Amino acid sequence: MDTVVEKRPWLLVWQVALAAAVLLAWEWAAAFEVLDSFFFSRPSAIARRIAEWIGTGVLWVHVGTTFTEAVLAFAIGGSLGVLFGFALAGVPLLAALLEPYIRIANALPRVVLAPMFLLWFGLGIWSKVALGVTVVFFIVFFNTYRGVREVNGVIVDNARMLGASRAQLVRHVLVPSALTWIFSSLHISSGMTIVAVVVGEYLGASRGIGYVIAQAEGVFDTTGVFAGMVVLAAWVLAVGALIGRLERRLLRWKPEYEGARTGRLA
Amino acid sequence: MSPTPGRTALLLRDVVKRFGTHTAVDGVSLDVAAGTVVSIVGPSGCGKSTLLNIIAGLLAASGGRVDVFGEPLTGVNRRATYMFQQDALLPWKTVRGNIQFGLTLRGEHGPAATEKVEGWIERVGLKGCGDLYPYQLSGGMRKRVAMAQCWIVQPDVILMDEPFGALDVHTRLRMESEILELWAGSHTTVVFVTHELEEAIALSDEVFLLSAGPGSRLVGRYPIELPRPRHLIDIKAEAAFHQVYREIWSDLRQEVLKSYGHSR
Repeated sequence: MDTVVEKRPWLLVWQVALAAAVLLAWEWAAAFEVLDSFFFSRPSAIARRIAEWIGTGVLWVHVGTTFTEAVLAFAIGGSLGVLFGFALAGVPLLAALLEPYIRIANALPRVVLAPMFLLWFGLGIWSKVALGVTVVFFIVFFNTYRGVREVNGVIVDNARMLGASRAQLVRHVLVPSALTWIFSSLHISSGMTIVAVVVGEYLGASRGIGYVIAQAEGVFDTTGVFAGMVVLAAWVLAVGALIGRLERRLLRWKPEYEGARTGRLA
Repeated sequence: MSPTPGRTALLLRDVVKRFGTHTAVDGVSLDVAAGTVVSIVGPSGCGKSTLLNIIAGLLAASGGRVDVFGEPLTGVNRRATYMFQQDALLPWKTVRGNIQFGLTLRGEHGPAATEKVEGWIERVGLKGCGDLYPYQLSGGMRKRVAMAQCWIVQPDVILMDEPFGALDVHTRLRMESEILELWAGSHTTVVFVTHELEEAIALSDEVFLLSAGPGSRLVGRYPIELPRPRHLIDIKAEAAFHQVYREIWSDLRQEVLKSYGHSR
């Protein structure tokens, strides 16, 4: 990753060039009827469709819905994950007791839960939030648990000698230590939350990007499906960039993030 | 809070530490007078660090008794801070944050605390480095931060477990001089664990010698009557230093040879 950062200006040019080449090839293939645009659509049509969605304002309704669901799922699942991670790391007996059940629950494919959640929580946003929570929870939970367990023992001892109470130990040592692990999981879990929420919408909803894609598929409107995918991809990228910035801010004490500051020494 | 000199800061009686069937420390008794510097020396693996961790309250003794200023030790030793052999700074706090840490834990905030912290940053020679993170510092600078972190809370006892082991000889000598300077201006009791006899003699009022492990015991105590203040650069050339050194080394040598025998 480090070398990627160093070469960024040139790399960006090539990345854009690659995307442009693929899109152009796709467009031409559709124009010269190498690809059937009924099945494969074409970039210009997809762009027009997105512009149309933006123009009429429907895009914001769907993006807003999916966004709300994802943020709620992320917040609830993340908090629960951090809470359980700390609780189980702090009470080994509890961890030993619950371990097999957590593994079993995590092994379940989430998609099979979606219809149940629809039954339990209805067609509105909460069934999607629930599905998202089941995804985020486990990722954040496992990383928090590991982060707390793998905290440097000498640092803990030092803090205790300096007079740290249990609560202070959690706040000044365990949380910052686990944060590294939690953040490394945020990139994955943020993407997975969006996937889970969209899958939920796809299976039954009246709003959201997943719903849009499902509707388009229902009438073989490939342009609509691709347009939905593009919106989703753009959004996942934006969220990823946001988390990256937050990470650089909160983890600026780590050597890997040195680029964010001017390291004078060492 | 500061104890009157002459009192007993630490009193150990028949301290035993077992790890399963392995006996690390087998009945150690010693006294440390308040306001003195003492060293615990012995061959590698003799349980020096174990003993120090028991005094710190980080390890519970399997038997025997530890009194701190006349009170039996239960849990972490609240009157002591500890300079560890390994890096123990909080990597997510700056130099300033690390030095302030002990004060923060005691709920000391505000201008008075800030002033204290800035004073210590300067005192350990890190002026202008307050906003740096530990990874941006050299090994010697990190030890300076650890030193300030331990001293700023004005503990009655400071425990040191070969804190300068990883430093080069010259940096080490400077750090030891600085420790002596800090100590001279305080009433602090210092317990220093090391395998370097020269270091132990140069710093201490008394040197305790532990026998080779397992099951190590106290085999000798040697008062060091070199005058203070001591200049560490010159002290090793003095005749009195050599006399003490030879005396302790002849005993330490035997223990080192024994520990060779064990590992063979």
